[in-house]
Amino acid sequence: DNYKGSLLLLLVSNLLCKNVASLPICPSGAVNCQVSLRDLFDRAVILSHYIHNLSSEMFNEFDKRYAQGRGFITKAINSCHTSSLSTPEDKEQAQQIHHEDLLNLVLRVLRSWNDPLYHLVSEVRGMREAPDAILSKAIEIEEQNKRLLEGMEKIVGQVHPGVKENEIYSVWSGLPSLQMEDEDSRLFAFYNLLHCLRRDSHKIDNYLKLLKCRIVYDSNC
Amino acid sequence: MKYNVASTVVFMLLLFLNIRLLNGESPPGKPTIFKCRSPEKETFTCWWSPGTDGGLPTNYTLTYHKEGETITHECPDYKTSGPNSCYFSKKHTSIWTIYIMTVNATNKMGSSTSDPRYVDVTYIVEPDPPENLTLEVKQPEDRKPYLWIKWLPPSLVDIRSGWLTLQYEIRLKPEKAAEWETHFAGQQTQFKILSLYPGQKYLVQVRCKPDHGFWSKWSQESFIQIPSDFTMKDTTVWIFVAVLSAVICLIMVWAVALKGYSMMTCIFPPVPGPKIKGFDTHLLEKGKSEELLSALGCQDFPPTSDCEDLLVEFLEVDDSEDQQLMPAHSKEHPGQGVKPLHLDPDNDSGRGSCDSPSLLSEKCEEPRANPPTFHTPKVIEQPENPQTNIPFTCNPHSISMEGKIHYYHAGGSKSSTWPLPQAAQHNPKSPYHSVDDMCALATLLDKAGKDALRSSKTIETGGEEKAEKQKEMERFHPKTEQGTAWLLPQEKAHFISAKPLDYVEIHKVNKDGALSLLPKQKENSDQTEKPGALEISKEYAKVSRVMDNNILELVPDPRAQSVVLFEASAKEAPPSCQQNQAEKDLACFTATPSNCTHPQGGLDYLDPACFTHSFH
Repeated sequence: DNYKGSLLLLLVSNLLCKNVASLPICPSGAVNCQVSLRDLFDRAVILSHYIHNLSSEMFNEFDKRYAQGRGFITKAINSCHTSSLSTPEDKEQAQQIHHEDLLNLVLRVLRSWNDPLYHLVSEVRGMREAPDAILSKAIEIEEQNKRLLEGMEKIVGQVHPGVKENEIYSVWSGLPSLQMEDEDSRLFAFYNLLHCLRRDSHKIDNYLKLLKCRIVYDSNC
Repeated sequence: MKYNVASTVVFMLLLFLNIRLLNGESPPGKPTIFKCRSPEKETFTCWWSPGTDGGLPTNYTLTYHKEGETITHECPDYKTSGPNSCYFSKKHTSIWTIYIMTVNATNKMGSSTSDPRYVDVTYIVEPDPPENLTLEVKQPEDRKPYLWIKWLPPSLVDIRSGWLTLQYEIRLKPEKAAEWETHFAGQQTQFKILSLYPGQKYLVQVRCKPDHGFWSKWSQESFIQIPSDFTMKDTTVWIFVAVLSAVICLIMVWAVALKGYSMMTCIFPPVPGPKIKGFDTHLLEKGKSEELLSALGCQDFPPTSDCEDLLVEFLEVDDSEDQQLMPAHSKEHPGQGVKPLHLDPDNDSGRGSCDSPSLLSEKCEEPRANPPTFHTPKVIEQPENPQTNIPFTCNPHSISMEGKIHYYHAGGSKSSTWPLPQAAQHNPKSPYHSVDDMCALATLLDKAGKDALRSSKTIETGGEEKAEKQKEMERFHPKTEQGTAWLLPQEKAHFISAKPLDYVEIHKVNKDGALSLLPKQKENSDQTEKPGALEISKEYAKVSRVMDNNILELVPDPRAQSVVLFEASAKEAPPSCQQNQAEKDLACFTATPSNCTHPQGGLDYLDPACFTHSFH
């Protein structure tokens, strides 16, 4: 009875109090929960920051090396597979969304990139004149992305445990494009993939920093 | 008329056309969007550069559409960011979205459109410089002073929500320095500088960078004057240094005081004064002439040229002419060598009247040697020559000797005929004295009161010639006072007649009391000397003991020739002279070296004959 009572109280408080800030993060109220959440967020932010740096460098190198004068940017409009995920487009939108939703969104984006990153590594290896810098970064990003995913799942498990949503993610279908024989098409496929990776990694990083300041530091970074 | 009007109109038209062409009016050139920037990732601005305006007022419009949309928008704000700019407010700004925008220039003549520019706000973030840069010199009591720099993030950037994360960098330099000193400050809005030069004026600037953006411009320069008197602790350090140096100075002064002299001599070695080699002036003061003269060390045999210069040419007695006389020496053997018939009138070897050419005759040959030797001791006695102030210690044991000495002095002073003053003058220069002289003198003095002739007879081994000499001596010396004195030369003559004089040079006196003798180089047929014994090798006579008054008691040396003689002499010990003779011999022995230690560096001679005669 006590357990059911507390759960009921939690649900009621969730419905009544839409103010995100007042919602307790750790339902059990344990001190350990708060401390470990801070560490988890700190680590998550470090990872996300690192992944975006790698992605940005990788894109710049590819752009400088293969995409000069080809006008790929003109074609890489609205071509990311994760654009179906409704993500906030500015600060106000991001501040209005609930932190749980935001956390779930981060998870979805991260999960959406598991497959593309895997293929990116394998396809870059098979590239003519395989550039070591791009390949090494691709490998690193894939590795770190997995870790970040694990960390986020832990955070989610702490923030609102017991709620396991369906694993929603965007499916990537760009593999055939990476394997096209036409060099120009193939290069554009890579360019597009790297472009989308740079953007999504930035989104993840930005969202996590917002969440960290909001959850851990109470919007007072 | 029509022709004129038509031409005029044509001309005017042409003119207008030409004017327009001459004015350069043309459609505007193509503008270019050269920069887009967002200061806080919430708004952004794009600037374009117009092309040629074509000489006409040109209107610029910026149009854009966003990624995923098809609607074309026009720039919402042309004013906020200045001319040729377009400002996108928060409402119009979307992050993670590509903007495709173009600028359109239009004038009367035409229009032109710029190339499209693809802009994603995510990647054009460049914040404003940090604000409120404050500088403060902090001097805590227990720590080093430092410069505390504080600033605030740019006002537009939202840090609190975490929308942007800024990192800062500061730089500072002394006012006149050329290079900046840059420090990365991370995400903190303060910084402490420890290494500062006191008394300098510093310039400080700060800038910031978003987590994935561009560095801002440097802020305005802030100035701070570092106080020269930086900390009170410096005074303490100076006091400590002063005390330490005072202590060190005291230690040095104390060390110098203790060992000042040795240090001074080490640093400033005393200038050596003039010094005669082997000559110690202190010995002069003490009056120990033996040591003095020994120090001079006429050790060279044959003598050096210095010694030679001091030498007086002596009479050389030719051995061939008169066997009784001592064979002639070479000049290398300074000593009382008597050379018969080779008298040099200029020879100033301290001879008496007998030595003068007029007086000298064959008769006087023998005594000739004596006067110089006779007088020499006298001269030595005279105190006028301090260097020769050698106490006459021929027979120290006899008190009568002393009396005799005095007598002798008196005799010496009185005698005017013989010795000649000439001889007296030259005597100091002659450092060479035969042992015979001394022995004779000693004998004479000891036998005071006795018949000199008799004593001489006892001493001498002589023969007829000796008697002759005695008579000759008596002839020259009628005075009884000097009779005894004259006996000496007679005895000496006898000595000489008895056997050829044989001089042995004392090479040196070593510590053990041994006298190293050097036989004269010329052989003499002296029977007392063993043939072949004469070598230039050194002959040593060891002193067994030294008696009180500087008498050396010799020890017979089986190797030395002279010692052999000595031994022989000892065995033969004549009855007349036994102990006394022995003593006299010893005395002679001692006297001679003392006489020989003449300041002029004379060589010492020991006549083995002395020992021989005394015992016969």
